Formats: sequence, C-alpha cells, structure tokens
Amino acid sequence: MLHLERIRGDIVALGRRAALEQARRQEALELAHQWWLSASDTEHLRRHVQPLTLALDRWDGAVPCTGTPISAQIPCPDSAPNDLTVIGADGSQIFPDRHALVLYYLLQVGAVIFRYTGEAPDTDTREWLHYDERELYDRNGYLIGSDTLGMERTVKEMEVLADITAQERKRSPARVLSLTDGPLLWPYLERGHSASAALQAYLSALRGVQQSGGVAVGYVDRPGGRPLLELLWADQLAPEDLASKAGDNPLSVLTDYDLMAHSLAPGARTTWFTRPTATNQRHAGEGQEVWFYYLNLSLGPGDAIARIEVPAWAAADETAMTALHGALRHQASVLNGYPYILARAHEEALVTTQDKTALEAAIQRELAESGIFAQPSEKARQKLLLGRR
Amino acid sequence: MVPETHIITIGNVLRADIRGFVVASRIPEPEVPTFGTFVRAPIQQGSADLVGLVYDIRLQDDPFLRNLAATVTPGDPRFDEVIRDQRENRAVPVEISVASVGYRYCDDPNYAYGLPPQPPMVLHQIVVCPPDEVRVITSSPDFMRALIDNQDIPADELIPTTLLRAANLYPGSAAEFLLEAGRYLARYLGRDPVRLEKILLRIGH
Repeated sequence: MLHLERIRGDIVALGRRAALEQARRQEALELAHQWWLSASDTEHLRRHVQPLTLALDRWDGAVPCTGTPISAQIPCPDSAPNDLTVIGADGSQIFPDRHALVLYYLLQVGAVIFRYTGEAPDTDTREWLHYDERELYDRNGYLIGSDTLGMERTVKEMEVLADITAQERKRSPARVLSLTDGPLLWPYLERGHSASAALQAYLSALRGVQQSGGVAVGYVDRPGGRPLLELLWADQLAPEDLASKAGDNPLSVLTDYDLMAHSLAPGARTTWFTRPTATNQRHAGEGQEVWFYYLNLSLGPGDAIARIEVPAWAAADETAMTALHGALRHQASVLNGYPYILARAHEEALVTTQDKTALEAAIQRELAESGIFAQPSEKARQKLLLGRR
Repeated sequence: MVPETHIITIGNVLRADIRGFVVASRIPEPEVPTFGTFVRAPIQQGSADLVGLVYDIRLQDDPFLRNLAATVTPGDPRFDEVIRDQRENRAVPVEISVASVGYRYCDDPNYAYGLPPQPPMVLHQIVVCPPDEVRVITSSPDFMRALIDNQDIPADELIPTTLLRAANLYPGSAAEFLLEAGRYLARYLGRDPVRLEKILLRIGH
C-alpha cells in the first residue's frame, strides 16, 4: 500500500521542477529551430563533422547523406498507394520465470500482409516454445535475460519478414515494403559470442529481404535520441572546438522528436541521415547500412513523429521511397498517426495473459499425464492472489 | 455463420456450472457461432463430452475498433482493405454462453440427455459440432428436456431455432422430425399451453 501523504512534498517539488524544465525546453526549442533553418550546406556539414565520425560510438550525431538541405521538408506524394504490398511484423514473448510451474520461454511473431488490391489482408503468426536448459541459461549459468530474448525476437521478426517477402514476390510482381515495429539498425550491444551470432543472423535475414526483392523498413514511433540535434550543435562549433565541446550541447534537454514535432509539417519528411556507429559499419559491411529520416504522420496540428529507417541501397530508389512515404501516410491516416498494419501486426503477435494462462494449463495437463505434479512457487501464487485486488 | 462442414475451435471455457458454461474467445467474425449452434466440451478428464447450445453471444468492448470508427468510412475505397480486415480477419473478443443439453462417454455411442455429472473445467477448449454429430444429438427429442427446464436461458426462442436448423439435416423427413418434436413438447408442456403455443407457432412459421 502506498502512503501518498508521506511523499506529498516530493510530488509538489516534482510539479515545480517540471514547470521550470518546461521553460528551459521552450528556449532550447526556439534555438534548435533557428539552427535547423540556418544549417550549413550538407557537403560542408559532412566535411565538418568528419573528425567526430572517425571516433566511432563516441559521437552520437547524424550525418546528412544527400545534397538536400537538412531543413528541407519533403511533402507526401498525392497519389494513393497502388501496385504495392506492405507487410507489417511484430513480436512478443513470455519471459522465462523461475517462479512459474515450469521453466520455458515463448516467442511469437505476427505479420499482416496488406495488398492494395481491395482484398482483405492476410495474417501469419508463428511461435517458438523453448524449454531446453541449454536455451534457458547463459554460459555463466544465469537464466537468460530480456536482452537475449529481445535479440532472438528481433532476428525472428526479420526472418519471418524475409520469408513472407519471398512468398509475396512469387505471388505478385507488386513492390513489397516489409515493415518492422522498431529500428532497422541492430539495437543491441555486441557483447560476447551469442550477441555477434544474433547480429550476423539478423543481417543475413535483412539481406534475405533484399534478395527477395523487398525493402526492409524500420518504424520507430516517438523516437528517442538526438542525432540531429548533435549535428546542429556540431555545426555551431569551430573545427578546433569539435573534440572538446561536442559533449556540451545546450540542446541536450531536447530530443530530435521535440524539434520535429515543433518544426516538421504534417505529412512531410526530412532528408536522409545516417549514424556513423560501429554497428552501422557492421551493417555496411553486409551491404545493409541504415539511413533514416523523420516523418510527421499527424493528420493536422499534432506530433505523430516517427523515425523511418531503411537500408542505404533502398533509400537510393526514389520510386520505392515515394511509395513508402505514401503508404505510411495512408496507413497512419486510419489510426490517427500510427500505421494500421503495425497495430494489427502487434495484435496478431501479442501473447495475452489469457493465452499465457491457457498455455500453462496445457503444459500442466501434459506434465500430469507424465506423472509430474508441477505448480508455481508459493511466491508466484501469493502475488497472483494479491494482484487481483 | 459457421460453415456446416467445418469443425472449429471457438475458445476456452471461462466459467461453468452444471447448467452451462461461458466461453471467452477471440475469433474472426465469420467464425463466431450463431444462436442455436451445438458445441462440445470435454468433461471428466476427457472421458466424456458435454454438448450444449449457444444461447447468448456478447461482444466485449473493443477500443481498437472504437478508434477506427472515427477515421474509417465504409464505402470509401481508401479503406476497403481495412474494413475487410476488420470483418474477415480480426479476432473479435466475444463471450459465448452455452446451455448444457446432454453428454456422452467416449466409449458409448449414445447420448445421455439432461444435465452432465460435472461441468467442463476452466480453459478446456470447445468446438462446434459437425452436422453428423448434430443429427445424432437431435435424433431423440429428449435433447430439449434440459432446455425446457432451464429458467436462465431464452428457451422458447432457442428450442424452435434449434429444431428448424436441425430439420435441415433430415432431407426428406424434416416435417416428420418437426412433428415428432412437436408431440414431445406437447407432452412435456401440456400444463403450460401458452408457452407450448408460443414455441409451436415459431416452429410452424
């Protein structure tokens, strides 16, 4: 039970601090907007930040990829999507729980295949149940954590996308855009053998999408981070100050999302950027360097900002990228700024509490038939009872 | 409507008593069983099957659909795929209520009509009975007994609906099947002529 009266003073202080923070953020936002509008030309920017980009992973800024000014706003194409198939995939999981009646974990990937032909979309759901001790514990004997499971899920999502993309390309000559809910750039730290193997499998699946004739797309809703703001700050620094002052960004109270929500028109997207990180170099080594832009998918005044990531080879295909822009706009118009296909893929992938209960009941029945009486730990049982209040 | 030759699993038992049970389900709209559909659930550790009739279907609140309703216009070609997805694919969260009709042990071809010895256990899966099974269940009008006595269900609507649907499974002898059922009802409801007339009129129509 929470005694609110004991933390009332802290709640009041939190409110006051938020008000102060708001004023600071507003000032920073005006400054960021000015810097964005008056940014140097992209060729100069690329040369200027080169010393920073050479120190991989020490500078978290963005680098412009094309000659288009970084403050350019590219409007959404007018034409409705046609001759196009959009595949959306998402994953979910049941984490291994040492208090559960039996130790296992489950991954499920759901996909929706949306053909712009007037037909009902198709759905595809695949699941993997793991219960072998070698899969449940890491090399140090610890139960695998959320990162390990997250990596495996990310790989599975991309493998499913590659597989469905190949099926679609056999079925129809329509262009295929294969969307995943999250970044396309591998989001995990590459530590240890299993992480490297997972990244390799992921890159292989990403290449599989390309080889099947599809375009893999990462959709990051409400993106965090400030690679664009870091670039704007670097633009303000003299070359001799880059190394010493790059970390003193006065815009650090903001994220790119704040600037885009303030400055990017509904429907419009920015130009292309890339991140000069070690992970992106690994991607580049496999021909899958990731570029991104920001996109405002709100239907009117509002802030449905997303970061759209695609492989560099796909970004160069203007027709495909125009189709992507139009398709995302259409998909988001159905659900107030979030792509319908990703919401549905999430729904297909989701393992609900009811699903989990049914799965565990089935496992319990199976164990009982083998003469094994298993039940959750007393702690888990008590938590379940108390959680019902 | 459920295709007549198609056995589908419609969900898990959520709560149950001897007189019936409620199934929680998320299934596409075309697969949602209709009022008067026969369904089957395992009882007594799987040694027997309970059969029952769907008498209520409740759509649960669906915030996703509510959200879509504000942006999607039926008839607008921009939303054709979305509307068809909602109608044909999307799992609709429903609660399906079933009234017990009878049961059968796995090693016995005959049904015992009336209330079962035990309700189905929570989270057991139920399936829609195929036509051959419905023909066997309805081969004796005794299947109506538990329904007539059940005060908690709309029996006077459920019985005629079930009889009229089952009659389609008796080509060439549908009238005879209904006549036999009418005679049974007349014997069972002889003391309640108002109720009897109401049911018979529905069958007659």
